[in-house]
Amino acid sequence: MALNLDRRHFLGLAGAGAGAAAISACGGPSTGGSAAATGAADIDFSGVKPAASIDFWSNHPGKSQDVEKAIIEKFHAKFPDIKVNLVTAGANYEEIAQKFQTSQAAKSGLPGLVVLSDVWWFRYYSNGNIIALDSLIKQLDIKVDDFQKSLVADYKYEDKQWALPYGRSTPLFYYNKDHFKAAGLPDRAPKTWQEFGEWAPKLQASSGAQYAYIYPALAGYAGWTLQNNLWGWGGSWSNEWTFNCDSEESVAALQWAQDSIFKDKWAGVSSKEAADDFAAGITSSTISSTGSLLGVLKSAKFNVGVGYLPGGPKSESPVCPTGGAGLGIPSGVSKEVQLAAATFLKFMTEPENTAQFSAATGYMPTRTSADMTAVLAATPQIKTAMDQLAVTRVQDNARVFLPGADQEMAKAAAAILTQQGDVKATMTSLKATLEGIYTKDVKPKLKS
Amino acid sequence: MTRQLTDRPRAAVEPKPAPTPRARWSARTRRDFFVFLALALPNLLLIGVFTYLPLFNNIYYSTLDWTLGSASATVVGFDNYVTFFTSSDATKVLGTTAVFTLITVGGSMVLGLLVALALNSKIRGTTFARSAVFAPYVLSGVGVGLVWLFIFDPGYGVLAWLLRGIGQQSPQWINDPQLSLVMVIIVYVWKNLGYCAVVYLAGLQSLPQDVMEAASLDGANGFRRFVSMALPLLSPTTFFLLITTMLSSLQAFDLIRIMTPLGNGTSTLIYEAYLQAFGAFNRAGYSAAISVVLFAILLIITVLQLRFVERKVHYS
Repeated sequence: MALNLDRRHFLGLAGAGAGAAAISACGGPSTGGSAAATGAADIDFSGVKPAASIDFWSNHPGKSQDVEKAIIEKFHAKFPDIKVNLVTAGANYEEIAQKFQTSQAAKSGLPGLVVLSDVWWFRYYSNGNIIALDSLIKQLDIKVDDFQKSLVADYKYEDKQWALPYGRSTPLFYYNKDHFKAAGLPDRAPKTWQEFGEWAPKLQASSGAQYAYIYPALAGYAGWTLQNNLWGWGGSWSNEWTFNCDSEESVAALQWAQDSIFKDKWAGVSSKEAADDFAAGITSSTISSTGSLLGVLKSAKFNVGVGYLPGGPKSESPVCPTGGAGLGIPSGVSKEVQLAAATFLKFMTEPENTAQFSAATGYMPTRTSADMTAVLAATPQIKTAMDQLAVTRVQDNARVFLPGADQEMAKAAAAILTQQGDVKATMTSLKATLEGIYTKDVKPKLKS
Repeated sequence: MTRQLTDRPRAAVEPKPAPTPRARWSARTRRDFFVFLALALPNLLLIGVFTYLPLFNNIYYSTLDWTLGSASATVVGFDNYVTFFTSSDATKVLGTTAVFTLITVGGSMVLGLLVALALNSKIRGTTFARSAVFAPYVLSGVGVGLVWLFIFDPGYGVLAWLLRGIGQQSPQWINDPQLSLVMVIIVYVWKNLGYCAVVYLAGLQSLPQDVMEAASLDGANGFRRFVSMALPLLSPTTFFLLITTMLSSLQAFDLIRIMTPLGNGTSTLIYEAYLQAFGAFNRAGYSAAISVVLFAILLIITVLQLRFVERKVHYS
């Protein structure tokens, strides 16, 4: 007698499978507790032996893979009992964050040490994904006082240190010295955007480049660099937790930017990477991270000048944000791994290693005692980035603490700078979006 | 005297005893069933683990307020669905999905049919042309996206270079949200029309020649034969392509991710689900709700197509 597997039998079997699947579906996150940070308590590492092997997740900021490997080799020579595996965990800060968050959800495969950007570390903190480093700093005698104070302070919350600076940058004003000379302009960055507005037509007339200035790519970090324009005009994305991106000053700043593209027609917007556009000679000037410096110097076939970011009609200084990445230790790994990671973190940020990293990438040295003599002799432009640190300003809360705010700012910038959208209306809409994100995703997690 | 014919009294028919379950499941049946289980169970388990388990997990997650990376979440019932459908995002995302799907499905099928007609003609080089047309379909979406990004780059792209040659500026393909959608649609249609062309070509080559010749003898010209004979006879192929291309368009991801990572203007349902969970927001519960909406739409479209469109298909 043949087995008669009709549709009803088959569906019955499928239903049984589906039922089992539904039971299995009762996994995922716990729905009983709160989402508050879990790494807040000081961890006691006394008596803990460092793990024999850790993974270091990096996106190799500033094309730093080779120098990271070189520093890891030095670490292996000094600490033969700890093996560091360098893992390419993404091509940028967002991809590395995606991998890190996904591993948190899967509760497996976490690294010992992870690169975290200025807009991600707070989210890791609020999700309880990273540990406070204070007890490790004490146990391993990490010289926090020797770090650049403002860079260390960026990762402080509730009197605890959640990360240490690594590939830290500021935006720089890059200019084509040959174009400036041909236009009869002084060999320096403009002091203000108004001054550059006077220079731009001369540059465009004499350089043959497509643009006198190109705004950084919107899909990159438009929210980061546009703070320079906003601050120069007396505006900002936010003042503490008040979202004032639709203020008269902020609107005036972005209106000026829009006019430079559509009315005065000397500026454009980069589609991918402004530093590459600049190095390719498409534009006479741009703003890009110090982390792009070495790459630009290598690929540009002209004399490259760098300077401080221009100010605006309301403020000439400070109008420069800091940015870049730090290093943090996940909470979801063993104490042994955390201790080994902290040992490597200490080594990675030693003065000689931060100088080596800086020389290879253009990022600022994070330690004040780093001997930069040889580095500056080879690449004197790094000095501009180092000096500019003294006139930097803390980034707007809206950009660094609101999940997805950077993307919303980029969309608003796209509406203004590529579609010639109404600036006031766009900023009013952005304000509503930012307030919504704050109310839903941030306010409930803030300590009163 | 009449002879009465009488039948021999029949023995009362004893009803057969109902087979016991044990009897129904004879040794042979049991053996067959175990063979069936041995063959089908691994596949059913795989389907269960990799299709139904994630599906049910996803439906469960859609009822949570859960930040990806956070160990805890709050049960919020249908709040994520309400938030999605009452936000301006829903109109934007559903609109983008509809525009993207309709144009890519229509474009791929119409152009695919035209290409198939060209390839079906007996001219030199059709073998090479068939391979060339089909090649983009098997290429990696990531590679295709990167190459086309270079072509569209307004600064130093090939298209910008050509436009400058005739004194024109390149449009802001990448930064302008509306043009971004146009750009992604162009590349998607280019990549996928080869698939439609090959399937249509197979359909054209299997058309009954006697019917076509009869129409020709009756005086129908080429256009008439195509419209009145070939197109109706190709309806099974069209129906198949309609389902497969629509399902793949609704699930298009790689090109959108590579060419427009911000999703500004190109955020279809599937890409919005990705951005919400794995982009900057980390709203895993909200993203799961969007995925369930996409699943429901796919299910409805498939059922409607099977229920109504198939009726109009001529299989012979």
